Amino acid sequence: MGSSSSSLSHIPDGQQLMGETGFSAAHLLRLHERFELLDKDSRGHLRPEDFEEIRELTENPVGGRIIGAFFPPEKETLDFPSFVRILAHFRPTGKNRSRDRTQPEPANSRTGKLKFAFKLYDQDRDGKISRDELLQVLRAMLGLQVTEEQLQSIAERAIQEADLNSDGAISFDEFKKSLEKVDIEHKMSIRFLK
Amino acid sequence: MPARMSSRAPAGFCRSLPELGLLLLLVFVLLQGSVFPHGADASADTSHHGGDGCSSTHVKEINRTKKAFPVLSFEYEHIKTPFEVSIWVLFASLMKLGFHLVPRLSSIVPESCLLIVVGLLVGGLSKLIGDTELPKLDSKNFFLVLLPPIILDAGYFLPIRPFMENLGTILMFAVVGTLWNAFFIGSLLFAVCQIPAAGLTHLGLLSCLLFGSIISAVDPVAVLAVFEEIHINELLHILVFGESLLNDAVTVVLYHLFEEFSVFGPVTVLDGFLGVISFLVVALGGVLVGAIYGIVAAFTSRFTSHMRVIEPLFVFVYSYIAYLSAELFHLSGIMALIACGAVMRPYVEANISHKSHTTIKYFLKMWSSVSETLIFILLGVATVGGPHNWNWIFVTATVFLCLVARVMGVVGLTFIINKFRIVKLTTKDQFIVAYGGLRGAIAFSLGFLLEHEDEDMKHIFLTAIITVIFFTVFVQGMTIKPLVELLAVKKKQEAKRSINEEIHIQFLDHLLTGIEDICGHYGHHHWKDKLNRFNRKYVKKCLIAGERSKEPQLIAFYHKLEFKQAIQLVESGAGGKLSSALPSTVSIQNIQPKKPPPAPETRERVLPQLPKAREEEIRKILRSNLQRTRQRLRSYNRHTLVADPFEDGFSDLLKKQKMFELEKKIKEMNNYLSVPAATSDSPTLRRARLASDPQSYNVKPDADGVPTIQVELASPQSPDSVNIVNIVDEVKRDREKDEDMGLTMKPPSAPSKQGAEEDAKDQQKLMRCLSDPGPSADEGEDDPFLP
Repeated sequence: MGSSSSSLSHIPDGQQLMGETGFSAAHLLRLHERFELLDKDSRGHLRPEDFEEIRELTENPVGGRIIGAFFPPEKETLDFPSFVRILAHFRPTGKNRSRDRTQPEPANSRTGKLKFAFKLYDQDRDGKISRDELLQVLRAMLGLQVTEEQLQSIAERAIQEADLNSDGAISFDEFKKSLEKVDIEHKMSIRFLK
Repeated sequence: MPARMSSRAPAGFCRSLPELGLLLLLVFVLLQGSVFPHGADASADTSHHGGDGCSSTHVKEINRTKKAFPVLSFEYEHIKTPFEVSIWVLFASLMKLGFHLVPRLSSIVPESCLLIVVGLLVGGLSKLIGDTELPKLDSKNFFLVLLPPIILDAGYFLPIRPFMENLGTILMFAVVGTLWNAFFIGSLLFAVCQIPAAGLTHLGLLSCLLFGSIISAVDPVAVLAVFEEIHINELLHILVFGESLLNDAVTVVLYHLFEEFSVFGPVTVLDGFLGVISFLVVALGGVLVGAIYGIVAAFTSRFTSHMRVIEPLFVFVYSYIAYLSAELFHLSGIMALIACGAVMRPYVEANISHKSHTTIKYFLKMWSSVSETLIFILLGVATVGGPHNWNWIFVTATVFLCLVARVMGVVGLTFIINKFRIVKLTTKDQFIVAYGGLRGAIAFSLGFLLEHEDEDMKHIFLTAIITVIFFTVFVQGMTIKPLVELLAVKKKQEAKRSINEEIHIQFLDHLLTGIEDICGHYGHHHWKDKLNRFNRKYVKKCLIAGERSKEPQLIAFYHKLEFKQAIQLVESGAGGKLSSALPSTVSIQNIQPKKPPPAPETRERVLPQLPKAREEEIRKILRSNLQRTRQRLRSYNRHTLVADPFEDGFSDLLKKQKMFELEKKIKEMNNYLSVPAATSDSPTLRRARLASDPQSYNVKPDADGVPTIQVELASPQSPDSVNIVNIVDEVKRDREKDEDMGLTMKPPSAPSKQGAEEDAKDQQKLMRCLSDPGPSADEGEDDPFLP
């Protein structure tokens, strides 16, 4: 684990990040270590190439999209707070019933998680998953094992099932509805080591 | 061909007269009682006769020649054992039927209770009649014959995903929980026994611990029997059920350990250490043995494409041998059986034919059902018959301590487990898990197996075990359902997965794996991904025959959905014409894409008549779907085999379709129905993998005057050809405007229309593939065992 100094002073805006994302100090430290590990040239920020160094990620069918999620189109670099904010989506959902209504939806709530997943599908960020975007995802996941027609039929069927207002694309609400039976809180959570 | 009354009629008759059914059952009970004394008499006669014979053969010879030739003789000894076994099995099954004829009873009282009561009645009756020849719940019979089918059924249909996701929790409950129960109960009972008033001071600590280990294990049979009727959510079900399965290893080790030590004296630290090692060996060894046999079975199934009829046999025999092999080494047989079933299933299902698949499913459910029924009945009988030694203090202490230990164990463990779980267990969950800790016949059989000089002690134990079993099954079993309602525990959701869910779940799996890689955290998803990759690359290639090894899961799922949709559309279409309006505009067979129909509801599409080419297309799609579709079994419920209604609904559908066609035909021409022989070498037929089994199929006429169609598929020389009454053939001939002499038996050789020929073959294959023989081909098949 390395020398885990228990002070947050190394991390800029540590306290603020903790409050924003809900990570504990130990989590943040661990993530910071990981960040520094990935940041091979010690530049203080990450670039897409650093992610591509992770071997398993390149084998992953949606690896490219994940990297894309960390690096929105305008930005070329990723600093630590942004890194943490994105990973906050995968924190296990706690039972925070007494949440202030005025506060923004926490990143690790069910809606937050689903929003993140939705953004991965919706590459052009128009708020809808079009048929082409779905096809791209299917192509990436199923690859060479299926024919183009099969992909088309699956995509078509998926859209017809989920598309409630018949606009030919899946909006975020439709996306949420189609996954209402799935235990997202469990599926999209990682146990960050203490 | 005369119309055959469908077997539905008698069932309807009985349903309206439950008293008749009960009367029938009563007759059987009496028959039971009367058969045994008869048996005793007859055996006495023959033995007597035999005894005489040796000493006085001379006299016997003279006697024999003088007697007239017996026209009718009664020799019971000859068939005694199989006859009695069959009578018991029949009796058990009739009981099961009987409970569902009485409508309200089965919703209040769980079946297991009713069966025990029946057993008590039979036992009481036999005792009254004075017979002592009742079959005992013999440990050997129980462990070797009655238990394996239930466990195999559970293991084969085990839902792997939730099981693996909660494996840590399940193991904690199974191992630590059972250990805690055993020691707590054992030691406190020993303390109780020290009270001089109880008169139990002769029970040593080790004996008490032995008893504790027997009584502590949650019983899979009882849990299955009760939990299946209450339909709680998947998580709780798998927790309790998984625990009941996995604690077998602990029970085996503890039992043997304490049994050894109660004979051989004091326990040393070394012995304790060896005990731990032994536990690991028993558990992991059992799993390993099961897995090995599972892989061998999967490998064997790869080569069975020419001998489809015995495919189910391999599944059953390999599993049973796995169980016996594990028992041979005193490893955990239950874990071996579970591992075998769970390992072999994905590969075997990809290899075997549709019908073998159905056969396996039905046989497993049937055997496990009968087994479970017999176990409960025999438990009742053994209660009445067995030697008892009722000791108030011991028994009440046992029951009380069992409850307390269970609650404390669950609460304590959940506290620890929740620190590691993502989705925590709530108090309601804990309550259900604690309340669902039922004891059953395994405890009884283990108690029965006890060999001890002190017969008295054994009887005390047995009495206490039976009391605990009765308490848990009756009190807890009956009240758990209202409690579940009261506490508003989440119920099982209807498992109708959509393609969206499937796609998104796979997507999320990949996403989470990626995120884990970014975090450098080798968690759950990482290893699962690695395992999947390994499976896809190496294992599937070995164990799955042909091109199915490369089929991704999503595609198989999609085929199944399309297939279901096609059924629905055929059903909604009128007059036998297959309406098109497939939701997918592009079929799977490289057929030209058509314009998508604009209808919003996929269900209600009644379209006008279709051109023949389109129909042909649709039939081709259906045919290809059938070749590739494998139902994924989601039902681990004993009582309802069918997870989705479409599976068996297709036979109804075909019936309806045929009725439409037939009515149409009847209006036009007269009614000769005969069997045309199909040519055996059409390439489409050769490609069908579902060919060989013979099957008979009955259609009940909707109205009078309409003759029934009898479809017989004989399995002829080549496994690919088929004989069938083909209505489509008639229709085809109609279209060709043949001046009819009715349908005659002439092979449709060199047909004029190639497309129509294809239709015929498709229809044949459709009917052949999809009409499940099942126990009966009517609607009754779909009714679950529960109201």
